[in-house]
Amino acid sequence: MTTALKTLKRPVNGLIRIGVLFAAVGALVNLLPFVALTELGRLLLAGDNALHSLWLWAALVVLSLSLGWMANGLALWLTHLADHRLQASLREAMVSKLGRVSLGWYNDTTSGAVRKVVQDDLEDLHHLVAHHAVELTAAIVTPLAGLAWLAWLNWRLALLAVLTLPIYTVAYALMMRGFGSKMQLLDKSMTRVSAAIVEFVHGIAVVKAFGQTGQAHRSYQHAVSQFGEQYAGWVRPLLRLEAFSSMALSVPVILLASLGVGSLLLAKGWITPLQLFAETLVAVFIPQSLLVINQSLTAQRTALAAAGRIETLLAVEELPVPKVCVQPQGSDITFERVQFGYDPEHPILTGVDLHCPAGSITALVGASGAGKSTLAKLVPRFHDVSAGRVMVGGADVREIDPRQLYRHVGFVLQDAQLVHGSVADNLRLGRPNASEQEMQAAAESARIHQRILALPRGYQSVIGEDAIFSGGEAQRLSIARTLLTDTPVLILDEATSHADPESEAQIQDALSVLAQGRTVLVIAHRLASIRGVDQIVVLDRGRVVERGRHEQLLEANGAYARLWRASAETTAPNLEVSL
Amino acid sequence: MIRSLRTLLGPAHTARLYRYLAWLVASAVLQGVAVALLVPILRALLANDLSTAMTWLAGLAALVVLTCIAHYQQAMKGFALALVVLTTLHDRLGQHLVSLPLGWFDSEKVGRLSRSATSGTLMVTGLFAHYLGPVVSGVVVPATVALTLFVFDWRLGLTAMLCAPLIYWTHRWSAAAIGSTDARVEAAATLAGNRVVEFARYQQVLRAFGRTQEGYRPLQDANQAQHQAGGSMLAHTFPKLLAGGLSVQLAFALLVGVGIALVVHSQIDAIELIALLALSARFVGPLAEAAARSGLLRMAGNDLEHLAGILREPPLAQPAVSRPLSAPGSLSFEHVSFAYPGGPTVLRDLSFQVPAHSMTAIVGASGSGKTTVTRLLMRFFDATEGSVKVGGVDVRELTNEALMAQLSLVMQDVYLFDDSLEANIRVGNPHASMEQVADAARLAGVDEIVARLPLGWNTPVGEGGAALSGGERQRVSLARALLKRAPIVLLDEATAALDPHNEAYVQTTIRTLMQSSTVLVIAHRLPTIMAADQILVLEEGRLIETGTHAQLLARNGRYAGFWHDRQRASGWRLKAQVQPC
Repeated sequence: MTTALKTLKRPVNGLIRIGVLFAAVGALVNLLPFVALTELGRLLLAGDNALHSLWLWAALVVLSLSLGWMANGLALWLTHLADHRLQASLREAMVSKLGRVSLGWYNDTTSGAVRKVVQDDLEDLHHLVAHHAVELTAAIVTPLAGLAWLAWLNWRLALLAVLTLPIYTVAYALMMRGFGSKMQLLDKSMTRVSAAIVEFVHGIAVVKAFGQTGQAHRSYQHAVSQFGEQYAGWVRPLLRLEAFSSMALSVPVILLASLGVGSLLLAKGWITPLQLFAETLVAVFIPQSLLVINQSLTAQRTALAAAGRIETLLAVEELPVPKVCVQPQGSDITFERVQFGYDPEHPILTGVDLHCPAGSITALVGASGAGKSTLAKLVPRFHDVSAGRVMVGGADVREIDPRQLYRHVGFVLQDAQLVHGSVADNLRLGRPNASEQEMQAAAESARIHQRILALPRGYQSVIGEDAIFSGGEAQRLSIARTLLTDTPVLILDEATSHADPESEAQIQDALSVLAQGRTVLVIAHRLASIRGVDQIVVLDRGRVVERGRHEQLLEANGAYARLWRASAETTAPNLEVSL
Repeated sequence: MIRSLRTLLGPAHTARLYRYLAWLVASAVLQGVAVALLVPILRALLANDLSTAMTWLAGLAALVVLTCIAHYQQAMKGFALALVVLTTLHDRLGQHLVSLPLGWFDSEKVGRLSRSATSGTLMVTGLFAHYLGPVVSGVVVPATVALTLFVFDWRLGLTAMLCAPLIYWTHRWSAAAIGSTDARVEAAATLAGNRVVEFARYQQVLRAFGRTQEGYRPLQDANQAQHQAGGSMLAHTFPKLLAGGLSVQLAFALLVGVGIALVVHSQIDAIELIALLALSARFVGPLAEAAARSGLLRMAGNDLEHLAGILREPPLAQPAVSRPLSAPGSLSFEHVSFAYPGGPTVLRDLSFQVPAHSMTAIVGASGSGKTTVTRLLMRFFDATEGSVKVGGVDVRELTNEALMAQLSLVMQDVYLFDDSLEANIRVGNPHASMEQVADAARLAGVDEIVARLPLGWNTPVGEGGAALSGGERQRVSLARALLKRAPIVLLDEATAALDPHNEAYVQTTIRTLMQSSTVLVIAHRLPTIMAADQILVLEEGRLIETGTHAQLLARNGRYAGFWHDRQRASGWRLKAQVQPC
């Protein structure tokens, strides 16, 4: 375990230590019944039927059993409490991390991997914190104390109690040969299975559509059969050994060894019958502890691997927070010699200079892969530039308080991304305290109010349950949400999919309201939508190659004119032509 | 639990499961009997009667041999079943998932699937290999010991017998309480997990709206709920767990007490009691040991129930043998009504025919049921009423393979697998030659993408195709359909990315497919609609008009209205806000 996890674990370490202490006390108390039973036997054998000493020892048996049980229970309760608190703080730390890393991080991290860390790994960590220390303590202290007591009675008894152990120990050592490397291998195939099943589920429509011979099913099958074979191949030769060696730990075998060899020792007069009685009580208890230790260590390995992944997530670098915050003055956007790439080998933007005056509309056009979306996403600071700077209202976005930035820069995404929750929750995303009237006014301006009222529970209908929106409707909803946030700067990523004609007309109306009086940077996919804007910027391979108004650019007969002609060829014929 | 184990292993292994359980019980009973021999042996040893002790020891040795045989049998049979789970469960899970209706995959149950399929499977494997044995012997050994106590002294036997229901009921009581809080904790955890994944997936929009700075309520609520559920579990289950264990201690206390009372009243002699106390210790010992493992067992049990629950989800029923197609290449809906599970009615008494080798366009406002028509044809869902026919046969009378051999689909939400570009196209037909793949790719415009990407055909497309743009994903989907060349093609044009480039490829693909297949297209583009042999106009799940483009315009009904709307607004436009000076 390394630093971040250690820091988070610090507040609960006290609880864990007290838990371990209770576990040790409980384990010692657990031994008392054996001592008391033996003393009881001594009294009975001596023919001493003095009632109250008999009952005293009997009471001690019962009392110590109960106390031992409670101490152990208390120990587990304390460590569970520690785990409960740790999980809460870890979850909080992870979520906060997810919200602060550069969005580029999500390119290499699948949602399945995030789920695994936040959900499964935390669960695996549970064993380490809540069970491992306590169970291991009990499993070590009880047999050791028992053996010490036996040795104190008669050293031969202690040896007798562990007579069959060497058999198991040797077998166990044989079975664990190469365990580490085997586990690593299995861990890797397990990750593949995990990824394969996530794909399988998300692509289920494709899997179904293309039948069971399809690639998805095959790659899933490949991943799982590889894992199954690897695992089975490893354990199969060990099974017989395990089945045989585990006999050495079974109670009847231990009894036979204890009583058989014990009888010989008795015959020699080296031990007394009552000592043998004490030995059998302790001897049958030991294998149990060994199995607990064994299982606990296996679970610990899983938990440590999980802790490592949590650690990795918590160590991901965050977008730096400004030390001194600058207030944006106005709403113009400026890109100065902006360079950017997810990795230095493949730059996406190679020196962009661009000014978008306050209150104007600028359109970014260019082939796919030209860097339009990437450039626009630098404004809300989804990523930080590698060189140069992006300014809003004269302030570098890296120096604006992140809590100010989102109130200044709005973003209408290509896909509307409606979150799980009510329609109202989605509309109020940027302004949770907006009044009912403000919310409805925004919905009306975005031409979606009537549609929402038609839902079974109106604004309280839940997305995906009783509120199912078409693509066009979701776009209007996302426009309404942006309207409600009311930011002076707006980034608009044009949706690439068709909406039906009615919807499109309404989106048009909604956008006209939204754009009014704001500085708009639009990532345009079809040229017809933006021919009337203030400034058209043509990007090519991360550089601005042309800029100007539609007419100017057509006149220049350069890259834009070529794009325009290509789009005209495929534009739908109009009514006159078709009839 | 046994029912779930059976579900998990599948019908082929039921007999093996019972044989394993039988050996497990036999081994535990033998253990109990062997332990009972403690009494005569200790009695003889305490009485210094070595020769009697030797006789009994010989008996114990014989019994130990039998116990070892049983132990070996149950261990090997358990391992064998564990291997069965390890090597077949994933496969059965995959087969079963494919047969489930698509609606199942929208539910939040899916969130647990990945865990169940990975560490869950291993836990269940461990159940056979390690966890089940101690629990079964934890119950059977004490029961056997209690019975043998009768042989030695009926009063002690009776005491043990009377304690059994007490122990049983307190355990049941605490287990039920723990089970129900467990389920609540689990549900809260799943919900919180789903919110976190959503939080990660929607980072762009959440950041744009400041939620990562100011806090995202649904996630905070879910985390809070999970924290509370965990807290209340700690508060409620601890006393019950303690009580469960104390009942076992109480039973032992009673045995000791009754024993001492018997000695005091000279009913049994002291030596006998000491021997019997050793046996009584083995009455409670295994119970406590089983309790110590209950945590692991519960975890494994949860995983088992999850997996069995998935396997028990009813699949869409399909016949063993398909009915032969009576009209290959044709489609029809006969009085079809449909509602999504728990949702409003989407299609109402819909009837239409699509003859083989024709092209039909479906048009209608969003929410009119267009996409649902294709989903019923693909049998992602079954019609609530009426009959959906492909090739002249009701889709419910075709096997999945037979149905999918007829159909090919270009969908609205294109999902690409995290694999190479080539592999993603080959999804359409894994046995296609490279030439065929290249051909389909050229027609759909994928060759262009191939040429641009650094690794060409072998370029990985990322999770869900994230490395490609929407339009590019669309083209891959077109290439898939071209490669499959099914007799019937269902195409949802809504996917068509708007850039003119993609548009051209969609048109080419439709033209190519029309030469060899029946085409049913959810149409938005005018050229597509005008080229159709038949246009179906849907409104609120009803068919309100059918005919060719010219016929429908002449009728001057809903379609004509649509058409004029389309003329007015083909896409939105932004106009300059700053007047040039």
